[in-house]
Amino acid sequence: MAAVPREEIFEKVRQTLVDALSVEEDEVTEEATLTGDLGAESIDFLDIVFRLEKAFDIKIPQEELIPRDILSNPDYVTDRKLNEAGVAALKAAMPHADLAEFEKDPDIDKISDVFTVGTIVNFVEAKLAAS
Amino acid sequence: MRWIWIDRFEVFESGRRAVALKNVSLAADHIHDHFPGFPVMPTSLMVEGMAQTAGILVGEARGFAEKVILAKVKRAVFHRLVRPGDTIRHEAVIEQLTDQAATTTGRTTVGDDLVAEIDIVFSHIDQNVSGLEFPEENFVFNESFLSLLNTYRRNSGERIPL
Amino acid sequence: MKFVLVDRITELERGRRIVAHKALSLAEEYLADHFPTFPVLPGVLMLEALTQAAAWLVRDALDFAPSMVMLKEARNVTYKSFLAPGRMMTLAVECKELEQGRSVFAARGSVDDREIVKGRLTLRHFNLADHDPDLADVDEKIRTHMRALYDLVRVRQPAGAATE
Repeated sequence: MAAVPREEIFEKVRQTLVDALSVEEDEVTEEATLTGDLGAESIDFLDIVFRLEKAFDIKIPQEELIPRDILSNPDYVTDRKLNEAGVAALKAAMPHADLAEFEKDPDIDKISDVFTVGTIVNFVEAKLAAS
Repeated sequence: MRWIWIDRFEVFESGRRAVALKNVSLAADHIHDHFPGFPVMPTSLMVEGMAQTAGILVGEARGFAEKVILAKVKRAVFHRLVRPGDTIRHEAVIEQLTDQAATTTGRTTVGDDLVAEIDIVFSHIDQNVSGLEFPEENFVFNESFLSLLNTYRRNSGERIPL
Repeated sequence: MKFVLVDRITELERGRRIVAHKALSLAEEYLADHFPTFPVLPGVLMLEALTQAAAWLVRDALDFAPSMVMLKEARNVTYKSFLAPGRMMTLAVECKELEQGRSVFAARGSVDDREIVKGRLTLRHFNLADHDPDLADVDEKIRTHMRALYDLVRVRQPAGAATE
């Protein structure tokens, strides 16, 4: 199957976020963070995932987007922060995300903050390529 | 005032679709404020009727294992006023259902008229706790709701699964 | 139960923004069902409270001209936490668009500065007489009722203090 151009994926992701978060189109830039800039709540993440599944006709298991098993693994977490091994495991499990900022203070309750619009586009792009 | 905004199930297809009816009556207190001299069914209570219809549908699909709560109203649009003497029909369809959450689409009608379209995201809060404290037992699906379902099953001759 | 979900308006910038409160009391009977061991304000009543706050902004801005002010569409109403009895929900509603027959709002509900609900509301406003001239007196009855209710919920600022 021919690869879907990133621009096309971005357009669909943008529309999805506009619909799900009641934000304006021009607020949805590659760098915009879902929680910080676009005001997404944890329930919005669930809503967004459902909408993306529909829009792109793909299945998105929650664990692939945010690996909760790593975040709740006692070997990786102390006082609700990831240790070195935890961060390494997270990076491997989340190639779609830029974890540079998160690494400075790997608070497991703040994992949603790493998601930018670009992160979502990356994730969908990889999913489509793999299908 | 009881917090049940559906009166009976007309259709209940487990895991798929449910239709519940609600009669709008002047016997209900709240309608006399809304508005005095011209009572109409409040839109928010129609959202609740749909949420209850859809919520029971979602809950039953998972054996009432989790507490299913209203997490997000994606969209609720209203097309027509609803008056005392009307019978509201809420039709809910499960769109997506996972361990974490569910989405439903809904159409509310009175007779042949489309009254509302109501699309909902439910959260299974046992899965989605975030520092909130709530009781262990499934307080969401209380006796009133379960008896609505049992009445439907009895009347439709359906054998209740053991 | 009275279907009044706004107890007090504390700030009103005519046509622009309204801040109000809804206090939750265990005396509200429906709480016995919602839920039996865990009484909390139903999400749809948070929506109703936000809608009624927006409606007050409309009624004030349009000098109570439309008798009927109702929710036309709610979008992305997201629930984040619960409101328990004995607590107060602050309703902060910002008007994005206001026309004769239609208005749009960004609405937020919070408890102690923690946001518990937010959403986007479109209201429609009209008079019954617009559709049936015989109902003009019913419109007047509703307007009178709303003006009286408004007087109950509106906290007046002392003379000289800015409210707009």
